[in-house]
Amino acid sequence: MIGIYLHIPYCRTLCPYCDFVRNPIDGAVPQRFVDAVCGEIAAFEGPDKAGTVFFGGGTPSLLAPASLERILAAVGERFVLEEPEVSIEANPDDVRGGLADAWRALGVTRVSLGVQSFDDGVLGYLGRRHDAATARQACGAVAERFDNWGMDLIFGAQPVDAWDATLAECAALAPKHVSVYGLTYEAATPFAARAGDAVDDDTYLELYWRAEAHLAGFEHYEVSNYAQPGRECRHNLIYWNNLEYAGFGPGAYSFVGGIRARNPVALNDYLAHPGGKCEALRLSDAEVRTETLIQHFRLAAGIRKAAYAERFGRAIHEDYGHALDGLVARGLIEEDREEFRPTRRGFELNNEIGLALVHEGGEPRAIASEA
Amino acid sequence: MTTPIERIRNFCIIAHVDHGKSTLADRLLQETGAVDERNLKEQTLDTMDIERERGITIKSVAVRLNYRAQDGHDYVLNLIDTPGHVDFSYEVSRSLAACEGALLLVDAAQGVEAQTLANAYKAIEQDLEIIPVINKIDLPGADIDSTRRQIHDIIGLDADKAIMASAKAGKGTREVLEAVVERVPQPRGERTGPLRALIFDAVYNSYRGVIVYVRVKEGRLAKGMKILMMSTGRRHEVAELGVLTPGATPTDSLEAGEVGYLICNIKSLKNTKIGDTVTEAQRPAPKPLPGYEEAQSVVFCGLYPAVATDYEELRDALERLQLNDASFHFQADSSDALGLGYRLGFLGLLHMEIVQERLEREFDLTLVTTVPNVAYRVVGLDGQERTVENASKMPGPAEIQRIEEPYIEAEIICPTEYLSPVIELCKKKRGIHVRVDYLDARRCLAVYQMPLAEIVLDFYDKLKTCTRGYGSLEYRLIDYRPGDLVKLDILLNGEPVDALSSIVHRDRAEWTGRTLASRLRKLIPRQQFEVAIQAAIGSRILVRETVKPMRKNVTAKCYGGDITRKRKLLERQKEGKRRMKQVGTVEVPQEAFMALLRVGDEQER
Repeated sequence: MIGIYLHIPYCRTLCPYCDFVRNPIDGAVPQRFVDAVCGEIAAFEGPDKAGTVFFGGGTPSLLAPASLERILAAVGERFVLEEPEVSIEANPDDVRGGLADAWRALGVTRVSLGVQSFDDGVLGYLGRRHDAATARQACGAVAERFDNWGMDLIFGAQPVDAWDATLAECAALAPKHVSVYGLTYEAATPFAARAGDAVDDDTYLELYWRAEAHLAGFEHYEVSNYAQPGRECRHNLIYWNNLEYAGFGPGAYSFVGGIRARNPVALNDYLAHPGGKCEALRLSDAEVRTETLIQHFRLAAGIRKAAYAERFGRAIHEDYGHALDGLVARGLIEEDREEFRPTRRGFELNNEIGLALVHEGGEPRAIASEA
Repeated sequence: MTTPIERIRNFCIIAHVDHGKSTLADRLLQETGAVDERNLKEQTLDTMDIERERGITIKSVAVRLNYRAQDGHDYVLNLIDTPGHVDFSYEVSRSLAACEGALLLVDAAQGVEAQTLANAYKAIEQDLEIIPVINKIDLPGADIDSTRRQIHDIIGLDADKAIMASAKAGKGTREVLEAVVERVPQPRGERTGPLRALIFDAVYNSYRGVIVYVRVKEGRLAKGMKILMMSTGRRHEVAELGVLTPGATPTDSLEAGEVGYLICNIKSLKNTKIGDTVTEAQRPAPKPLPGYEEAQSVVFCGLYPAVATDYEELRDALERLQLNDASFHFQADSSDALGLGYRLGFLGLLHMEIVQERLEREFDLTLVTTVPNVAYRVVGLDGQERTVENASKMPGPAEIQRIEEPYIEAEIICPTEYLSPVIELCKKKRGIHVRVDYLDARRCLAVYQMPLAEIVLDFYDKLKTCTRGYGSLEYRLIDYRPGDLVKLDILLNGEPVDALSSIVHRDRAEWTGRTLASRLRKLIPRQQFEVAIQAAIGSRILVRETVKPMRKNVTAKCYGGDITRKRKLLERQKEGKRRMKQVGTVEVPQEAFMALLRVGDEQER
């Protein structure tokens, strides 16, 4: 069973901090793009069974219901879906009762709202097109129609002290899932020029842990993600377990059969060759093992020794004993009989865990590269 | 075909960096047809990349020019190139010893510089006929009268007959060639006597082995001859000899007065000493030519592979490099902080930089270099004297009667308006004033004696800064003098780091320790745990600085393809860590081991 990711690379307004693949658009997502995605899905070579479908972006909520229907039909024709989790990311501005009804009718099971904040100052700073009132309405509309819904929040944006109120309001709305991201000032974005606004590390961590304090009843199951028990995002768990997924749309990544490939990033390149890849790496077994561990250590549950042995046919200590012992000694992970788990410090310094593990991996070889 | 001795002229060009030596040499080659315009790579005589980039000449070469003079006779003019830098002053003196005359090339816009002066004095000592050439006369800033006056007043040469040239524009080239014919004396030397030939240079060629450059002083050198190197006692057979035109042109013999090369299957430069005398094994000369010296290392540093497994590679690289630069020395060394490596000795600072750069460039090695230091003479309580070339090996204060350090005499030429900052700088560097001469209305010469250790650190950069680039410096070793010196240690998390130890003057120790610790605080990246940096003399801690622990290092999002980006990022970081040295529990970047060099940049408190 693989996961299916669909990248909808359009936005009505471009958020100045975002470095995802996206293109400005006035109306709905064009038919030409929908055709291309459907064609790409139909032509996919690989596993037939899928357990999750995830519409990400960009802004998937710009898809007209008819377009969403066509894409889901293409997915249904190509893949056998078994009790699928079908998620869609949505901009609060786009969510009207009618649209949410249509999603339900089409088989969407999970909605993730890009709320980011319930503070108009923060939303303005982030350059979002919605305000707090719109976000509240959207949450209401989604919560009425979907049991499984969640929201994304951003901390560290100015004014920083609005964070507590946003968290409190989020908790009161009782979503099933919350993603909590620290604002990063990515180099290739307009926000790079504002890097001076970034909060210091101590403040960052204070804000980061504040979420845990507010979101009682949630499990902090991944570095940046909280869920009510049993409501973890199944699709994202595929990534963190380093399992197979197929990505469709510009810039989308796939990881199937040991090969990680990326679709052309530029929209025109993608539309010209919807099945083309701009990079493809065949990962060595050692690389897959290393990446699997790196991803697993983003999860509070860490990795079970037995699961590792079952998947790779070797003992985890054999491969990573030195690195893991070192990480335990540094207090970044903890070990018991069954498993290795990151500590709280291991969440704060998660990249240090990766750095210790990456030691074992060889250099990936490019096996195909077509622009 | 032998050239009559009266038709030979052997000469060199002495000049300050950038005064146009290479350009003039190119013009002479062109004018005499040794190279044509098409084949003339700019600055033919500088053969190594590094030389080109730095605009300096490291290895001298000799070129034979055929010239029909205005008197109607054909002459052979041997142009012997000389290294331009003070570090190679011994080699310069040997090149000069191969000549009877020298062109003293002075930039009309810059005037006489310290290097010009030092080399001109050497040429005078060797009794060479010196022909002043004033170059770059068509530059807007050219001041011919003043340059002429400086040549007269400072160097003491008759500048009335100085040749006016613009090597760039090709002006004055003929006049230079005529002057060489007319004014440089013909070589003297009995062609029938026992052979005595001066080795003035040698280079290593991976196909031919060592190529030895000689000036035959007496007798005759022939192909197939069994020869004897008089200082090393080594015997060889001449496999090939010839002249450079500038390409190698084999001949059957070289006679007294001539300059050329010889190849005799010598595998390493170690066995070829510059300044040595070549004689015939069967009929040896009774005495070698005068002036031979062993090259002395004056500056030392530790060189360690960034990755311990590269140790063997480093040794191979050093051995291979020594094939073509026998003037540096190395021996195995080990450091608690840096592991196994080598201690290298150099002729001077520039020489050190060249060797380091060649190792990294030609052998693709990532190296950790320690701060350069000089050799100290340490007299123990038992009265025994020994040489300490490595600060970390300095015995404790209780075992030492006194420490002596090498002193140099520096000649600094600068515009008069910068004299007071120069004096200030020299004082700060423990300089002892000898004299100041006013060269003309604009420039002066300051002579100071100071510890070589002060020059080794950052003196030259400082001099350039405080004179806005106009100051020039030459120095020579004079003697060893007792100094009130102490060993300054740096401790990381309580552990002394041998590679960061240095020998400093007691009065400056506290300031240096403070500055060094604060500099290290900026250089050592945050780590998971706090890092304490301490500077100490013996057991006395002078200062403590702290590198705060890293608080966070986490990527907010990591979904599908993000792992690709993330792993690339981690690989890059890993590469960065590879360039760090693990010292106890602390990861120390390579630059930290050179931190002492930049201590002088800090504002003095």
